[in-house]
Amino acid sequence: MRIAWVVAVLEREAAELLRNRLLLLSILGPPIVIVIGPVVLGKLVAGRPLPAGLAGTLVAGRPEWASLNPGDLAAAYSFQQFLLFFLMLPAFIPLSIATFSIIGEKQSRTLEAVLATPIRTAELLAGKAIAAAVPGIAGGLIAYLGFAGLVRVLYGPALFAIVSAPDWLAATFLLGPAIALLSVMLGVLVSSRANDPRTAQQIGAVIVVPLVAVVIAQAAGRFLVDATGYGLAAVGVLVLAAVGLRAGSWLFAREAILTRWR
Amino acid sequence: MTGDASGTCLAAGVDQRPAPACRRPAPAHRAWQTPPVDPSAPSPPDLAVWAEGLGRRFGDRWAVRDLSLELRRGEVFGLLGPNGAGKTTTIRLLAALIAPSAGRARVDGLDLVREADRVRSRVGVLTEAPGLYEKLSAARNLDFFGKLQGLPAAVRAERIERLLRLFDLWDRRLEPTGTFSKGMKQKLAIARALLHDPPVLFLDEPTAALDPEAAAVVRDAIATLRGQGRTIVLCTHVLPEAERLCDRIGFLRTTLLRVDTPARLRTATAGGRVHVRLAAPAGPDLLAAVGADAGVIEARATADGLVAELRDPEADTPALVRAIVAADAAVLEVRREAATLEEVYFEVMGARADTDAAA
Repeated sequence: MRIAWVVAVLEREAAELLRNRLLLLSILGPPIVIVIGPVVLGKLVAGRPLPAGLAGTLVAGRPEWASLNPGDLAAAYSFQQFLLFFLMLPAFIPLSIATFSIIGEKQSRTLEAVLATPIRTAELLAGKAIAAAVPGIAGGLIAYLGFAGLVRVLYGPALFAIVSAPDWLAATFLLGPAIALLSVMLGVLVSSRANDPRTAQQIGAVIVVPLVAVVIAQAAGRFLVDATGYGLAAVGVLVLAAVGLRAGSWLFAREAILTRWR
Repeated sequence: MTGDASGTCLAAGVDQRPAPACRRPAPAHRAWQTPPVDPSAPSPPDLAVWAEGLGRRFGDRWAVRDLSLELRRGEVFGLLGPNGAGKTTTIRLLAALIAPSAGRARVDGLDLVREADRVRSRVGVLTEAPGLYEKLSAARNLDFFGKLQGLPAAVRAERIERLLRLFDLWDRRLEPTGTFSKGMKQKLAIARALLHDPPVLFLDEPTAALDPEAAAVVRDAIATLRGQGRTIVLCTHVLPEAERLCDRIGFLRTTLLRVDTPARLRTATAGGRVHVRLAAPAGPDLLAAVGADAGVIEARATADGLVAELRDPEADTPALVRAIVAADAAVLEVRREAATLEEVYFEVMGARADTDAAA
């Protein structure tokens, strides 16, 4: 793989992304909401202690939370629900970019001109994948760091310790990037068949179904995923991403793009 | 400058040099196709494109089949045929965008399959749609494609300026191409195809969907490229355009049905009629004298001379003139009747349709 060709694709993707206001808004908007949302919600619930049964379940699952006062426990519980929202950023942002990028090229019929050059399809795929994955990963990490910083300032060290615990770090720094890679591959797979970015995103949104299931289960106090759980999930997602990469490489062959993509 | 359907290798109208595709075909090949060439041997250096038995199948259907072709360097070759005839597939094959299912080919001396990457750096392709990044400026578009061709920054900058000036787009180089007219986009797409200075160009319907003014601009641009000595394969539905720009024309419907110069295609389709304008009307004695010639099938008088139907106009016209002069008639003009290219098109395609129906 020749780096110069990958960089050329990457630069062009970035230049187009910066000129696409709609896409930019859909990328920048959610992180802001996800950073501010839990901070505001934490303040709202801090004065309302959790039901005794739920509080007991939480402390049983997380003994380190036993030292929190009832208000902080309620805030910690609400923050925990938002952890998975931070994982949705690396799921949705790459999906949006990849589908807009590939379907945009299908609509403007630019791919044939690109494929008529000596670029290898692996270089094209790599450039597009990096251009889609990096904003998703960066968005997730920046949003998390912003959120953790606000928690430190507004809620103090006890709750900051909760949101910077190993489960948060494993989720944000391991599972988030893995989800971003899977999301890119899903975007490529779906975009090769769909002709409308919105449709592709709706189909690709299946990626968040497992995340939503975990959110619901955690909110119901059924269980809390720990750092090991997030680490294992990251490995599983990476395996799926590797399978997706193989399928994506097959779909991203010159012949396939020119003769099978519709 | 190539063999006609009967296998006769006719003399060139203007350029009297024997054309590559004018070799007498082997019996196993169709008359308009070239004889087999040793695949291990490099294509002759004066050939820009050489293809033998090239074909591409999608599932059970052949989009292009048994296509054999030789194009000289500097030749402009027109590819005519109805929608779905295989023109775009032919271009994609010869530009190493898709692999052939059968046959072999060399472009600029490079093997189409084994050296596909190098072929793509030696050809320029104007796709059916301009295929530009509309949010990016004209200069940015060209710069991107220059990078994909591996051109150094200084070379890119120099060529981008030269081409944008050539196509009168320099003043709008920083504007997004989405704001350009269709003609401007097409010119920019041609500039993109030329960026790496390719010796072979494939132009797929370069004037499709353009207004007459924009089409004229693009045609002028192609004429300029022709003057630069590049080999050009031009797919078009615009027959006058093909006639004006092309040295030879090939009629394609899955395979090449006929290849020749526009002039020879027109005269061949018109048959062997020759008009002779005389100083005085042709009398019965003159018609009898002319009719006695073995090459004359029929002769009849017209208001200003006579019309003779000849068996072989190329060979029999001199004898016809000699017979007229021998009969003491004064010859003012001898003109061979020619069909329009549209008539040729329908004759070739119609004949094929009949064949299909019979099959």
